[in-house]
Parts: sequence; C-alpha cells; structure tokens
Amino acid sequence: MDFTIDDDQKALQDAVHELAARHAPAEAHGDVPVGPAAHDPKTWAAIAEMGLLALPFGEDVGGAGASTVEVALAATELGKARVVTAYADALTAAGLIAHGGTAAQRDDLLPGLLDGSVLIVPGLAEPGRSWSLEAYDVTASGAAGEVTLSGAKEPVPYADAADKLVVTARAGDRTGLYLVDAADVTSTHVRFDGTPAVALGSLDDAPRALRAGLNLGILAVTAEALGAMDAALPMTVEYLKTRKQFGVPLAAFQTLTQRAADMYVSLELARSTVLYAGMALAADPDDATAASRAKVVTGQSGRHIGQEAIQLHGGIGMTAEYAVGHYTARLTAIEHTFGDTRWHLARLAATLDDHQQVDVLA
Amino acid sequence: MHLHLSEEDAAFQQQMRDFFTTQVPADLRARWAAGGEPSADDMREAQRLLNAAGLAVPHWPVEWGGKDWTQLQRHIYLQEMQAASVPPPLAFNANMVGPVIATFGSQEQKERFLPPTANLNIWWCQGFSEPGAGSDLAGLQIRAVLDGDEWVVNGQKTWTTLGQHADWIFALVRTEPDAPKKQQGISFLLIDMTTPGITVRPIQLIDGGHEVNEVFFDDVRVPADQLVGERGQGWTIAKFLLGNERVGVAPVGTIKRALASAKQHAAQIASGDGTLLQEPLVAARFAELETQLAALELTVLRVAANSHGDKPEPASSILKLRGSQLQQDVFEFTADIAGPASLEWHQPDDTDLAAWTALATRTYLNFRKASIYGGSNEVQRSIIASGILGLKG
Repeated sequence: MDFTIDDDQKALQDAVHELAARHAPAEAHGDVPVGPAAHDPKTWAAIAEMGLLALPFGEDVGGAGASTVEVALAATELGKARVVTAYADALTAAGLIAHGGTAAQRDDLLPGLLDGSVLIVPGLAEPGRSWSLEAYDVTASGAAGEVTLSGAKEPVPYADAADKLVVTARAGDRTGLYLVDAADVTSTHVRFDGTPAVALGSLDDAPRALRAGLNLGILAVTAEALGAMDAALPMTVEYLKTRKQFGVPLAAFQTLTQRAADMYVSLELARSTVLYAGMALAADPDDATAASRAKVVTGQSGRHIGQEAIQLHGGIGMTAEYAVGHYTARLTAIEHTFGDTRWHLARLAATLDDHQQVDVLA
Repeated sequence: MHLHLSEEDAAFQQQMRDFFTTQVPADLRARWAAGGEPSADDMREAQRLLNAAGLAVPHWPVEWGGKDWTQLQRHIYLQEMQAASVPPPLAFNANMVGPVIATFGSQEQKERFLPPTANLNIWWCQGFSEPGAGSDLAGLQIRAVLDGDEWVVNGQKTWTTLGQHADWIFALVRTEPDAPKKQQGISFLLIDMTTPGITVRPIQLIDGGHEVNEVFFDDVRVPADQLVGERGQGWTIAKFLLGNERVGVAPVGTIKRALASAKQHAAQIASGDGTLLQEPLVAARFAELETQLAALELTVLRVAANSHGDKPEPASSILKLRGSQLQQDVFEFTADIAGPASLEWHQPDDTDLAAWTALATRTYLNFRKASIYGGSNEVQRSIIASGILGLKG
C-alpha cells in the first residue's frame, strides 16, 4: 500500500487549489453569507471546465479516465477553500447513472453531466423520514414507458438549479431509480403528483447502483470535510500563536495546546481514512465498508475539530465574518449528508459476522 | 497511490506469516494469546527462535544482525508477529539498549554486548525513572562518582519493568552534578544486576501483578568501560532511545487480535434469546472500534510509506497517543463484555465461567499503564503541539 501522490496528482491538486482560491466565498466584508450555499453558475462552470466531474469515469462516456483518488484530492482542495457546490451531488447522480443506467442512458446522460452542460442531482431524502436508501413515500406506478411518480422528496439540494433529478421511488415492495425533469422545480422541496418519469435501468440493478453511487458521493463529501478540517486546524493554531491574553499568547496555555494536539490526531486519522477510501473505491466502486468507515471517521473527527476550532478561538469563532465557524457549519452539513455517523455505524455493525478482524493490508 | 501490496511485499508478508505460524510452537503462542503475566521462559524461547532465523533485531545495523528492510516491511513483520501471538523480542534489548550500543558504544562494547542482547542471553531492564523524575526525566538524582577506574553508584530507580528477570540494567546516572544545565550532567551506564549493593524490590500493581520494581543502588561499583558514549552524553542517548521507543509503538496487530477475541467472546455470551454481539449497542461499539482501528492502521501504513531514514513522517507522533487509547478502549470493552463474570479475578476450580473472563478486569486495569509509559500521552500531546504545530508558550 502506498499513499504517495504522483506528479499528475500533485498538478491536479495545485490546479484545483488555484481554482478554489479564485472562487472562495468572501469573508470579513460585513455581509458574509451564512447557511447552505446557493448554486453559483460561475464556480460550477469552472469546476466542469477543469474536468473535475469527469475524473472517475471512463473516456467512453465522456470521463477523464482518472480515478476516485483524484476525486478525493480535488474535493479536499474545494473543502479547504470553502467552495461549496453541487460537486458531490452531481458525482452521485453520475454514479447512479453509470452503475444503474442502461447503455443507452449512460451514453445519453453522462457526457452532458460530466462536461457541466446538464446538471443532474439525486433526490433521496423524504420529509419526515430518517436517512435511508429505500424509498417509502415516493411511489412509482405504471408500466414501462408510462411511469409516473407521486409523493415528495425534501430536501433535494440544488434541485432548483438542476435540469434533471434521479430519485428513488417505491415500486411494489422494492426501491427503484427514476429520472424526472427538473426544469420547473424552484425549491429543494420536490413534489410529484402523477409526474412522468423514466426508470433508470432495472429494479434488479438499483440496489447496487445506489450503493456505488452513494459511495462516490460519500467520497466527495468526506474529502471535502478533510479539506475543511485541514484548514480549520491551521487557522486555530495561528490564532493561538498570535492572540494575546493576560499579556501572553494563548499558546502559553497548555490547556489549549493539548487540545490542539488532539485536533491534529483527529485530522490525520481522517486523512488516512479518506485517502484509503479513494484507493478502495478505485479498485471496487461497490466497497461500502471503506465508504462507511470514511464517513464515520470524518464524522467523528469533523465534530471534534469543528467544535474545538470555535472554542479555542473564543468569541471571534462565532462571528459570520470569520471563516472558522463556516467550516464547522459545513462539517455539520456533511455529517447529515448521505447518512450520518449513526447510520453508517449501523451499516457496518450489520457486517460484523463477515470478518474475524479488521484487515486493510492486502 | 496504490491499494495493494507490491508483489514483493506480498511475498514478504507470506514468508513472515509462514515463519511465525509454523516455526514458533503453537502452545507457546496460545499461552501468549491468553494474556496475563508473561512467562520469561516463553519470551526467551521465542526470541532465540527468531534470532536463529535472523528475525530478532531486523532494525539493527546489518553487521549486528539487521535486515535493512523498508519501513513497510518492518510494519508487516510486526503485524504478522502480533497476529500470530508470537512474543515480540524484549523491547529493552531489541529496541532500547541494542540500538544505543550499536550507535554510541565502543567496538569492544558492541562485540561484548550485542550478540547476547540479540539472543536474550542478557535480559536487560531500563533504569530511567526515579521517584522524583518521571515525565521530567532530566531531574534524575542517582549519583555516580569516579573512583579509580570504577563508577560508584548510589541512589534509586523505579518502574523497572521485568527487573526481576533482568541480568543487566542500563541506567541514566548523574556524573557531573555541577553541570550548568540538568540535562548536561547525565551519563549512560551498563550495570550487571549481580553486582554487590543492588536490591530489587517488587511493586505490586492494581491488577495484582508484579511486572515493575524499585531498584536500589548502595555503593555499587561499575567498571568505567561500561559507560556508553562520552561522559555527560547520557541525555543525548536517552533522547535517541526514547525516539526509537515511540516509533512503531502502535501495536496494531495486538489490538486487532484483542478486538477479534472480544468479538468471538461476545458471540458466545447469551443475551435474551440471542447473543451479546447481536445487541445493537454492542454491535455498534464493535463497528466503531473496528473503524477507529482501521483508521489507526492506515495511518501507521501512511507513516511507514512516507518515512525515509531519519526523517519520520510527522504523523508518526500520533501513533503512540492513539495506539494506547485504542488499546485501552478495546480492553475496557472486553471487560464490559465479560460483565458479571469479570467479578472473579482467578478462575475458580469448579466453574462454568470462561477462562478469559478472569483476566478481563485485570487486563483492563493493567493497560491503564499504556497512556503513561513511553512518554505519557500528555507528553505526546506536548510533542505534537510544539514539534508539529509550532505552539510554543
């Protein structure tokens, strides 16, 4: 096993770093946006133009023929700069289509999605329900060619900016994937009332497609979380060195520096796990264990680092005009995206009988 | 980045696995796996088997039995050894005094001490801590005064692990009491434990075991050629030794084995109509510990792959801290799984309780030491804060 980044990967990292610096949100200008980020067409166009959406897909469908390792490196840079976009959502949709769609659907949908000309996002969550890959309240009915959906998905991030949605819906006692037009959707609350839809692939392929698509989304958000943590810690350290109280820098107080050291531990554990997930998904897109472990470790590290980053700053960490709290907000959103720590622990707990002991070295 | 071991490293892994599982007797490994107080005879036998195969001191210089392996190969070697429940070579010999003598010792000292140290013909113990010098090691008080061609040592050492088995002790002693800084007046002495004037007194620990001792020195006369390096160089040597001690100190293989055993045990304990392992809170805790252990092992591998020569990857500093925490978490959970059965500390003669349950609480208590020895976890955090994050008060 080798975690070394090669020259091409380093070049990608540098390029995304520069892109992210150009598109990073303003801070300290008095009117800093808080809360979920709206879709920014300019940033989105830059991401698409650099080919970041295409990274893990084959050239036959308009992909770049790189891998999920590159996705992780790119998303980490975006996370460091607080560039919050539909990147993970679009990758998830692309993963659902790539792993679940028919050959014709892949050829039809992926090139536009990957070059940024068409935005497709997944709609998975249902209002009033905990996170699940199963659909319950959105139902599909009608024969092939005449499928309609009923029910509601909410929230569906970036639905208002999307051209199409790929959503889960109940079909009898199973969950299928369906494509619907999103041109008229104006919020993240998407209602279906006999809405025409197209089945994405077959019901038989849907479970695996959901796992693999979700894995890709998890990789993107956990890598983004790694970037957020990798920025929040140095900001905190810098603050401890420069902020003076009682006539000395805060770094003179061991009660603070010992806690900064623990943040570093959390950061490095998250880094190892996310990079490994990038490698593992490149080898097997269906590796739900690697994805869930990355989600759990970044979830726990993210909570720890996000909370301590604010606390060690003190009051300034609470203000909208200072970036550190925005990282914490984003880490919190990521925790609740694509299944939280509890959900992923439950998924891992269901597989305890499959192995005697942990084994990552093979 | 690559997910899998190279063909060469995979072959190396297989070779190590074959050796540890076929060349070290199964009964010896079973005794080691069961835990409890280690048997000195088993430790000697295992180290001699390894040494005969050239596997006792692979990280030493090649001319003294080293292997010139990569960091990753060293990790695989340790991992496979721990997975097979093979007692590791005695740390005081293989990881502490051996590298010190190989690096700082005279040619005579190397020839005299290194071969018996590798083969555990000499059992070494460590004379560093004193009652008044724990984390603040440089505050040590024990005195050595030169009298002719002998050092005369007076004072006390403590926390001397397995000193009851030791043939020799390597000790930090104060030879220049008037040095301007307390770090400057210290020297590194090798002392035969049978020298007149040495008294070893056991310290009983909270688990009922005896693994550490106090060692008293009363006019102990030590030949001057048993001082390693230069007079007053002891602190430099101590820092070298402690640095070695911290590298690779996350016993990932041992923790894995302990967690796997705990899972087996939980699957065998009935709970209602099912097993304890099927209890959602228990299963979730296993999933969490496995996940955290995977994160630690991946970090160990990342450090191994990115460390070159004397330049360890900075993340190596987290291994001791996190390794000791996880080891403690696993033993804590094991005691919790034993539950009411853990109330017996010694397996009764006529019992239906599983043998492992009698060790569960004692092992849990015993391993509270892991966050104290080898530089306490607070010291590790200070090293991270100042050495990596640049936080200096």
